[in-house]
Amino acid sequence: MVRPRYGTLIVIIGFCLALTAALFFGSRAGRTARRMHWRNEAIRPWMSVPFVAHQHHTRAELLFRAIHVEPNPRDRRPIRDIARDEKVPVSALIHDLEKAIQDSNRAGPEGAAPPGKAP
Amino acid sequence: MLDQLLAALTRYGSPALFAVVAIAAVGVPLPVTLLLIITGSLVAQEAMNIWAAIAIAAAGSVAGDQLGFAIGRWGGKALVARFSALLGNAEHINKLEARAKRWGGAGVFLSRWLVTPLGPWINLASGVAGYSWLRFTLWDFLGESLGAALYIWLGRLFSDRVQQVGAILGDSGWAIIGILAAAFFGWKLLARRGPVHA
Repeated sequence: MVRPRYGTLIVIIGFCLALTAALFFGSRAGRTARRMHWRNEAIRPWMSVPFVAHQHHTRAELLFRAIHVEPNPRDRRPIRDIARDEKVPVSALIHDLEKAIQDSNRAGPEGAAPPGKAP
Repeated sequence: MLDQLLAALTRYGSPALFAVVAIAAVGVPLPVTLLLIITGSLVAQEAMNIWAAIAIAAAGSVAGDQLGFAIGRWGGKALVARFSALLGNAEHINKLEARAKRWGGAGVFLSRWLVTPLGPWINLASGVAGYSWLRFTLWDFLGESLGAALYIWLGRLFSDRVQQVGAILGDSGWAIIGILAAAFFGWKLLARRGPVHA
């Protein structure tokens, strides 16, 4: 019976693992790329309000008002810091921002940020 | 951890960018590609200047790479000597060092922007192999500048899709590493073709 050497077996396993990893990560990258055009970015606690406004093409002042914070385009505090300062849960703040974005989208172009400019 | 880093970048900008890329270049596994893409988005939001962002990212990475190289040069040699029995005989180690010197430039350059997860290991390996510091620094500077410019530009272009672009680039990087590893193992298999023990 033909028996491969121990070293050859390791190389074959390495080859199979490497190929599997390449296919797995390659297909995942392709899947994300195909969804990119229509999928909105999730709001994360590290994002600032102007950052969220830019991601969702909304005016930052509208979002600041939705979370009862004085609108200031230079306010780059992450959402979690605002939540800490305002003593509200991060999830509640994110929920308020999502609702404000939905309302703004429903309202039409008035809520949208001017094209080509930072909100 | 990731959230804290990104929050620091959003809030403090350039100093946070410099610190994170430098720490990552030494070998701490941090998502530098995503960080650079978010920096590009901050540039698009006019919160940062693009040239300053590229310069700071490149400078931070080169600083961290230099530290990794130095660790390999002065700490790695002793380690290799101690564990030389595990790595093979002296002739085998000399062969590895010669190969590293021969392909060092391309390895350093490509691992700065194309296969970034390998970067810290290449820094250490270059130091251990006794690769010329001047050449290392030159290729390092070119690769890091290209990488910073490329990813910040991509972030600026897709400034409203940073998380998805980051995920695509992260996965693509690992896919490329997988392809390179498969090619290496495939080449090894072909080289082993010959008489098989019965």
